[in-house]
Amino acid sequence: MGSDKIVQSAGKAGTLSEEDRAFLQDVVERDRAEHRGRVSYMDIMFELEHHYGNSLPGEVLGEVARLVGAPASQLNGFVTFYTMLSTKPRGRHVIRICTSGPCHVTGAPAIVTELKRLLGVELGETTSDGMFSLEASSCLGICGVSPALMIDDDAYGNLTPDDLPRILAAKRAGGAT
Amino acid sequence: MKMFSTQIIVPVDSNSVLQGALEVKHVLEEMIGAYNLASQVSVVETGALGIYDQGVVLAVFPDDVYYGGVKPVDVQEIVTEHLLKGRVVSRLVIDRNLSNRRLVEKETGKSQQKIVLRNAGLIDPQSIDEYIARDGYGALAKALAMQPGEVIQVLTDSKLQGRGGAGFPTGLKWGMVAKEQSDEKYIVCNADEGEPGTFKDRLILEGDPHSIVEAMTIAGYATGAHLGIVYVRGEYFMSIARMQKAIKDATEYGLLGDDVLGTGFKFDIEVYRGGGAYICGEEFALLESIENQRGEPRNKPPFPPQVGLFGKPTVVNNVETFANVPPILLNGSDWFKSFGTPTSAGTKVFSLSGDVVNRGIVEAPFGVTLRELIYDFGGGVKGGKRIGFIQTGGSAGTVLTDKYLDTPLDFASMKTSNVSIGSGVILVASEDVPLLPFLEEVAHFFWHESCGKCTPCREGTLQIKAIMEALVGRTADPDALSRLGRLLNTLSNTSFCGLGQAVPLAFESALRNFPEVFDRALAESHVPEACQEEA
Ligand SMILES: Cc1cc2nc3c(=O)[nH]c(=O)nc-3n(C[C@H](O)[C@H](O)[C@H](O)COP(=O)(O)O)c2cc1C
Ligand code: SF4
Ligand code: FES
Ligand code: FES
Repeated sequence: MGSDKIVQSAGKAGTLSEEDRAFLQDVVERDRAEHRGRVSYMDIMFELEHHYGNSLPGEVLGEVARLVGAPASQLNGFVTFYTMLSTKPRGRHVIRICTSGPCHVTGAPAIVTELKRLLGVELGETTSDGMFSLEASSCLGICGVSPALMIDDDAYGNLTPDDLPRILAAKRAGGAT
Repeated sequence: MKMFSTQIIVPVDSNSVLQGALEVKHVLEEMIGAYNLASQVSVVETGALGIYDQGVVLAVFPDDVYYGGVKPVDVQEIVTEHLLKGRVVSRLVIDRNLSNRRLVEKETGKSQQKIVLRNAGLIDPQSIDEYIARDGYGALAKALAMQPGEVIQVLTDSKLQGRGGAGFPTGLKWGMVAKEQSDEKYIVCNADEGEPGTFKDRLILEGDPHSIVEAMTIAGYATGAHLGIVYVRGEYFMSIARMQKAIKDATEYGLLGDDVLGTGFKFDIEVYRGGGAYICGEEFALLESIENQRGEPRNKPPFPPQVGLFGKPTVVNNVETFANVPPILLNGSDWFKSFGTPTSAGTKVFSLSGDVVNRGIVEAPFGVTLRELIYDFGGGVKGGKRIGFIQTGGSAGTVLTDKYLDTPLDFASMKTSNVSIGSGVILVASEDVPLLPFLEEVAHFFWHESCGKCTPCREGTLQIKAIMEALVGRTADPDALSRLGRLLNTLSNTSFCGLGQAVPLAFESALRNFPEVFDRALAESHVPEACQEEA
């Protein structure tokens, strides 16, 4: 893998199509039903991140703001506060490596070093093929099996640097697991 | 309920799933079918048994045999030898005392007195029937037959204190909400668990979600609230799914909804998710987050019991606090106070992590010592090494030497012995782990998680991080430690919320307990030439 650190979008939203608009309306309405007339931005944003390749395009946020009747700036302030949400394009898979105390003590620094080497990127960057974004994370709550990381919704624990090529290869091959 | 002669219990909490529990369970079920044992042997999923360093664990009852490190290829042997012929497969047997169900018995000499983890590892958390079969929703029925004030009195008498870190008396909090006059009130369960080293709330939610549904409903009845919200951290997919299923099943059984247990009391529960921000565990930041705002703390007072969610009186309690409520109502406040110490009633669920042989969660009465937790449950330090340092209470906790091993742990131990218990983190680092890079990570954590609302915390955490980096890199200037001391003072005295106020704990305790480590780093430091002019 090349080590040029081009950040590229895996998202598929350009300007919004009619289909996009219908989809967004549906997401918001379903959430409103679940929360008895209120909405949870977090629920909506998680679903949209999933749909738009791990990031939240500006046009999408604008449309959601219109649908929930809030200023776009408020939605933007919300989205930029939470580390699980991103307005910046991210790779197909987001790797979140825990660096907090228990993981640190049991070997996280070596895992970080090896991940950077294998992917050819620094923390906060995306591989040039758009496959992986590498992020440092605070405690993921699986310290019983530290050191740990999550790739998308899947968690991996008791890691050694030797485990990483296999995990990355499986993700690369498996695509949308 | 169908009766089986043998039960095999498979923990399928997220930690066990990571080690392959679902594959093992799948093969086990196939084998049981293939050998025609389906009418005699049942395979039951359960929450955490609290054993993580033994791979996939199976427990066979009534034989009381625990197997560890079970791989799919081992399953046939267990089925043909143990289940068919009654011969235990000794090469896979592990010490059953590792299971978290055993420690409380051992500590108290009273058998089966687990309170919070009473069902973990014993029931299928997805089955409301199994929860009900073990007295589940009995406390709710009992509460609904009492006056709301009487329910609160039982809790007040029990001396239950919040398990989320601050230790506020739960009965008092509920009483404050009950006496507010308001058309709407809310019950919020804080399941944002972000303190590094804490994973107990996850395992409670995964292992016994109905206990939280039941407790929140009781809180609603006692305080006059009709909506509960569980705020679960976004990464806890299994907790979220289990909680949603529990709410759905309870609603179908009439235990939630417009007419709870036919009494006319109305109560519903919804799940909201967190977005990966430690500060959202702070109660006001959490409420802001539910209100679709950035998770920034609010001014106190007023406190949430007066002006909480959507401006209405609100109870905010930790998951573990709620999990204590049903047993207290069923067994009474005197029973509860028979566990623990004079200042701290009941038990605490500790999350044991780091370089110990057996990591996991363990419930023990207040007054338990670090030695008991680390050596009796934890099996000591990995590789027979010595303890380098212990962090208790979390990143916002204390860094200790092994001189503290025999200090009894309870809510008073911070005051009496400078040992914080916080959310129950016990992180053990062996003698091989250098202290300063660890503290650099702690500083990095707080800098990253500071919400940025107030200057002392936003700027102070950045500077603490820089000082720690300089100490690690041996580039600290001679004034670094006194500057660190001043910064810590400023943070504890002037930060807006508990995050900034608690940052100093780790550093002050480390400075107190390991002064030689800091002194050496300073003595070995050379200020880079480029900086000398400025310094
Ligand atoms: C920075 C910060 C993080 C916190 N994180 C949590 C948390 O993850 N879970 C929790 O229950 N309480 C957390 N708390 C404490 C809550 O503010 C609150 O005291 C608690 O939820 C009240 O519940 P309890 O009385 O049952 O403990 C945190 C506090 C601060 C200042
Ligand atoms: S102390 Fe830190 S976390 Fe708390 S309000 Fe100030 S900046 Fe935010
Ligand atoms: S410290 Fe890494 S998962 Fe908790
Ligand atoms: S190296 Fe520190 S300011 Fe120059």
